[in-house]
Amino acid sequence: MATESVSGTPTLFLRNATGLVRGWSVRDSMIYACLSTNVVTLGIYEFSYQSFIPKGQLLTSVLISAVWVSFLVIAYAGLIVTIPRAGGDYVWQTRILGSGLGFVMAATGWWFILWLWAPIYGNILSVELFQPLWATLGDPSGATWFASKTGIFVVCLITIAVAGFLVSLGMAGYARIQKYCFYAGLIGFAVVVILLLVSSKSSFISSFDTEAHKIFGVNNAYAATTSGAAKTGYVSPAFGFGPLGASMLLVPMMMFYLLWPNWGSTLYGEIRGASDFKRVFTGMFSGLWITAILSVIFLLLVAKTFGTGFYNDSNALYWSAYYGGKIPAAIPIWPYPVMFAGWLVHNAAFQTILILLMSVWFFGWVGTLFLSSTRVIFAAAFDRVLPDRAAEVSEKRNVPFYSLILMLLPAVALSAVYAYSLKFETYTLDATLVIAVTYLFSAIAVVILPWRKPELWRASPASRFKVAGVPVVPVAGVITIGLLGYNLYEWLSNDAYGVNNHDSLIFMGILYVLAIAVYVTARLVRRRQGIDLGLVNKEIPVE
Amino acid sequence: MKIFFATDIHGSEVCWRKFLNSAAFYKADLVVLGGDVTGKAMVPITAHSGYWEVTLRGETLRLDSKSELDDIITRIRNSGFYPAIVSPDELAHLGGNEAAVGERFEQEMISSLDRWLDMADGKLHGGDIPCILNGGNDDIFEIDNVIESSPCVSFAEGKLLDLDGFSLVSMGWTNPTPWNTYREAPEEELAPKIEALAALVPDMGRAIFNFHAPPYGTGLDEAPALDDNLRPMHGGAVMKPVGSKAVRDAIVKHQPMLSVHGHIHESRAIKRLGRTMAINPGSVYGDGVLQGAVLELDKKKAKVSRYLLVNG
Repeated sequence: MATESVSGTPTLFLRNATGLVRGWSVRDSMIYACLSTNVVTLGIYEFSYQSFIPKGQLLTSVLISAVWVSFLVIAYAGLIVTIPRAGGDYVWQTRILGSGLGFVMAATGWWFILWLWAPIYGNILSVELFQPLWATLGDPSGATWFASKTGIFVVCLITIAVAGFLVSLGMAGYARIQKYCFYAGLIGFAVVVILLLVSSKSSFISSFDTEAHKIFGVNNAYAATTSGAAKTGYVSPAFGFGPLGASMLLVPMMMFYLLWPNWGSTLYGEIRGASDFKRVFTGMFSGLWITAILSVIFLLLVAKTFGTGFYNDSNALYWSAYYGGKIPAAIPIWPYPVMFAGWLVHNAAFQTILILLMSVWFFGWVGTLFLSSTRVIFAAAFDRVLPDRAAEVSEKRNVPFYSLILMLLPAVALSAVYAYSLKFETYTLDATLVIAVTYLFSAIAVVILPWRKPELWRASPASRFKVAGVPVVPVAGVITIGLLGYNLYEWLSNDAYGVNNHDSLIFMGILYVLAIAVYVTARLVRRRQGIDLGLVNKEIPVE
Repeated sequence: MKIFFATDIHGSEVCWRKFLNSAAFYKADLVVLGGDVTGKAMVPITAHSGYWEVTLRGETLRLDSKSELDDIITRIRNSGFYPAIVSPDELAHLGGNEAAVGERFEQEMISSLDRWLDMADGKLHGGDIPCILNGGNDDIFEIDNVIESSPCVSFAEGKLLDLDGFSLVSMGWTNPTPWNTYREAPEEELAPKIEALAALVPDMGRAIFNFHAPPYGTGLDEAPALDDNLRPMHGGAVMKPVGSKAVRDAIVKHQPMLSVHGHIHESRAIKRLGRTMAINPGSVYGDGVLQGAVLELDKKKAKVSRYLLVNG
């Protein structure tokens, strides 16, 4: 027997029963959230697109984004503690908004669009591991091969294989790998910080020119980069915070990495206690803000040692050349800042180790690609929307064979399209947009929860979290709707993000049509089999 | 024949009421509740002169009228807790006395179950709709006689029941848990219990195993992995199989038509083990939602012809 008490007076008696567990460690969920909003893989990669909003300040947009996304964290913490189920958005939306809508949003946001994330992950592995590694090992043509269409496709296949393998390991094995990767990644990040902190801008310019010449045979690479960028017409903003308007336009880009502190929400099982709101919130919030703080540190040190102008110029020039601009990039591979930092030490072994050490940010993160999809596929199969086989797991190795096929094969096909079609590659932010739409409906669900499910809401620890008597979670839901609405508006109305063109919209439309078609077909087929899927979430009357 | 199977409602009165309505709602011929009927927690409501006081989920409330009291009692019962109205002296006594708490718990569980069975009498038309209950590992043994004595509910624990040509055998015992609950036993003791039940079955092709413990390693038994201090590992995201190997061996060996399970609330799943369809509908009793399985059995073909997991 156990008791909970307020100032010595017992308020609850618990008897010995299954499932009465102690609160879990916030650190674990913080690590998952931090790796999901991955500053090295997603953050630094997205920073390189600053030139698409040329006047925008990265630092300002990171801070605005992190503050705004903090409200999404509150809204999701509310959903997690109110309906703590593996499956996350799928479960909440089917329960609060309805089965059909829940399936379409979950299938598009947590399953179909991850086919597109596969080549994006692959591209990041190429630019942050294979290309700089081959260059550092003295094979610049090998490095540029990894930037070629076939090179990108091969790395995509490697990525899909690694992600599939990690799913087959299961969460227990992967969680261990993740933890080691997180700590090793932090050590790597600390090395980069120290290098940038102790080095002056002049020593960086000298090192950059020396190593660029040694590896790529380029003379005066630093100056060539800045002059090349200028010839493309790009002018980098000076380091600072303004202008606000342009920096706000970078926010939809920053969502590419900062929108995911809640990524683990699909994985949480039935664990609930009075203090869980604080734990869930703290895990995701601290993960988000560790990422934001690391981003700020990175950008400040880049400004100090590389120079903001050079950093932005190198990225602008690279993308200009990549998308067919006439001015060639001084460095023929993606300007990976970690590689540049490593050049401050003129030792190929050290540079190699640093690139490998920083690659653990990728390997601690790549498993997130398909882990949540399996949960959604299983949940939909148990709801009879998908064939029963989709939830089958192999007897010997416990591998979800059919769900892996449903994820991996389309991902391979889309990787090929991504690698060989330059046009398709510009749809990168589609991957963020479609998930943002799914989040939007979860945010709507959290706002209407107190009215749709009043008993559930009243019993939730989230309902007691109030400021001046106003429940914070639904208000955070409204602010989250504002965040997602703003981003959706910008993505769909502003050409700079590369998602509002005809083909991109067709691509996203196909995903939604496919999800609707799957659901409608399932309803019809099951009806013919005498099974009414409408009953799945229909509430039995109490009286 | 259509069966509605639910499990692990853990004292949630709203789930019990839904269970009683489930036969009409799903047009089921009979309803089965697979164990862990009783709640895990008791909330003291302190009676003062002219008012009551209760702390519910961290919020202390003063109740000045009988209707406010009744409302809180309903909320407590719907959450799966037992309201216990006590004087300040009684509360102080309970605070320091485990035996007294245990005794009061038992009183509340029995009286609550009595009330539930009275409700069942009306809802199930005095036994016209067959309703089957058995224990689970979290249920004290004292409830067995209470259910057994009910005229409208059949107590299935350790018995063979004939369901219009199908044979149902039931067992609420599970393999050991970290909480050392009431009906749990080592695997080597569970196996002979199961074999004794299986020996009663005339035709395994028409048998239903109603075993509270799910079969090990089937996806029906995935629970959060805990460390030595009963703390979920990796934020509760890491799951591990915790079902019974004896139950699994028995299913694989005897190949009943259907096996229904509970115990692991978060492991809502279906798995085919050879000829057997094994189902755990899971439980979210804390949300006031009754998860269950609607199962249509084909008498001629001796198989499950249709099934649907529902969140009622």
